[in-house]
Amino acid sequence: MNLRYMVKELYYQKRRTLMSILGLSIGIALLIILNALSLAYRQAAHVPLREIGADITVQRSGDVPKDLAGAVFPCSAVTIRKEEVEKIEKLPGVRGIGTGLLLWVFDPNRAWIVLGIGKENSIGPSLLRSSVTEGRFLEDGKLEALVEVAYARQFGISLNDTISVADKKFPVVGFVDASRAPKIALANVYLPLKEAEDLAASSKELQSVSPYAPGDVNLLFIKADQEKITGLASEMKAILGSKATVATPDSFLKLLGSLFALSDKFTLAASLIAIIVAVLIAFKTMAGNIAERAREIGVLKAVGWTHRNVVAQLMAESVIQCFLAGILGLLIALVASFGLSFMKVNIPIPWEMSPTPHFLPGGGDQIFKTLRLPVHIPWTLASFAVLLSIIIGGMTGGLLGRHISRIKPSEVLRHE
Amino acid sequence: MSKSTILSGTDLSKKYGDLEVVKGVSLAVNEGEFVCLVGKSGCGKTTLLSLLSGLEKPTKGKVTLDGREITASSEDELALFRRDNVGFIFQSFNLIPTLSAWENVALPLFPIKMTNEERRRRATELLGKMELGHRIEHLPSALSGGEKQRVAIARALVNNPRIIFADEPTGNLDSSTGEAIMGILNRLHRDEGVAILMVTHEDELAKTANRLIRMKDGEIMS
Repeated sequence: MNLRYMVKELYYQKRRTLMSILGLSIGIALLIILNALSLAYRQAAHVPLREIGADITVQRSGDVPKDLAGAVFPCSAVTIRKEEVEKIEKLPGVRGIGTGLLLWVFDPNRAWIVLGIGKENSIGPSLLRSSVTEGRFLEDGKLEALVEVAYARQFGISLNDTISVADKKFPVVGFVDASRAPKIALANVYLPLKEAEDLAASSKELQSVSPYAPGDVNLLFIKADQEKITGLASEMKAILGSKATVATPDSFLKLLGSLFALSDKFTLAASLIAIIVAVLIAFKTMAGNIAERAREIGVLKAVGWTHRNVVAQLMAESVIQCFLAGILGLLIALVASFGLSFMKVNIPIPWEMSPTPHFLPGGGDQIFKTLRLPVHIPWTLASFAVLLSIIIGGMTGGLLGRHISRIKPSEVLRHE
Repeated sequence: MSKSTILSGTDLSKKYGDLEVVKGVSLAVNEGEFVCLVGKSGCGKTTLLSLLSGLEKPTKGKVTLDGREITASSEDELALFRRDNVGFIFQSFNLIPTLSAWENVALPLFPIKMTNEERRRRATELLGKMELGHRIEHLPSALSGGEKQRVAIARALVNNPRIIFADEPTGNLDSSTGEAIMGILNRLHRDEGVAILMVTHEDELAKTANRLIRMKDGEIMS
């Protein structure tokens, strides 16, 4: 392969070179963008759970008492027994568990959504610590409460006021801004887990439909090995029975409903189409280019270039063009991904994961986690695309070179 | 075959389908000899030249070039043989449009392991002999017909060939430029001792050769 000849051929045949590079770069850009979008949706689907420091959340649905009085469990989150939690904790791939106890408390003149927090655990609602806007977070062994700031404003609750929840008095030590908090397991009042357990254990209505003992919970927040999440979800359902609701990034991905989010198969099929388009474009333009050069190839062979010399020269030209196409495709994809990263995606949070009684204001409203689509091109995808371009170039140049180098010089060099 | 014979073709025939273009031709070219193959268009001159130079394989007969029978050689063996022993000059120059004059001259050297400086030095030297020392960086598109043919002659000489095959080398040139090219070929034959087998349909040009071979309908007449 002669580098000087290759560079001059590509430089002086600008139109031909540019057409080849542009054609293939579009296919490569398409491939990168499709995969980057798919990846972005996958990453977006992790956000609602990641915000609460978990990879999986687990609940179990059940019944609510006929009379809604005092503390009850929401129908979407009834008792998960301590033994069941221990079994889940021992599953291979589980790296940590955070717990919570979500209650609806119906007092004579007010309804509260109360969340008991295991505040020492870094997994789960204790992450609310960073959403305290006024006052302080809950402290150990103290009978105290945090109140959601909008709720406090609506009902005129001030810092250091004492609120009465299920006949128990709790001084308000801080406010939490729900708009800054995770959208999962939202509540009006946050209590230490021990206090919420006491409210649940002492509620006759709650015990009548969902027997509860201190140590049991109704929300689990689980950190797990990424590659084991799907398998763990199945095992947890097996432990908790058919009424278990196990939320994973995949289940959020399905809620997104986008074609990119629907399946790996779609992305794979679209990527394959993009690759085939890229190969066809490369093949067609290169075939045209090489056919135009039949006479030139004849000259090369006449002056002593072997079959191998000709193939190596054409292959090198093709590889360089396709490499440049890969780089251009990558640049186009980078620009496109920058534009796409301004796109907003609304991830619906299932009512079960943040239940508000339907008869309360906003109880039936769909909650969304809104975020910018995190479109970016990982270096592995970029490298793959450029490598693929080089392979396409090598294959195309090799195949076409082998074909054209079979021509007989005498056939193309006869004078007109 | 005598010691001084550099090229010989024996009983050469070439058929394209049912059409026999060359019919049982035998001829020999001696070292340093300038032989002209003349005849009307379509009489089989160029085909015979292709057979003798190894660009094409005969349907029948054999070709011996510089003591080696090339008829049975593979395409690549022939290419390597041409690279080392043969030079070509074509009517339509056949220069590579994207390469400069010196690069076109050095084209047969590109697959050979040598430095670019060495290739350039050899090409520049030959272009100097062709009085094109001032045009070495020019692309073919910037050269006149005569200059292009002189570049092609330099290319034919770059591998120090024992024989040059020239196919109507003045066919695309005006008469004065054609005469100049013939002058160069004559000088090569006379001063450098290079054997030349030239195809032409112009009797005037053929007169300068040592020997004239006339062809008609695929056969040698005299």
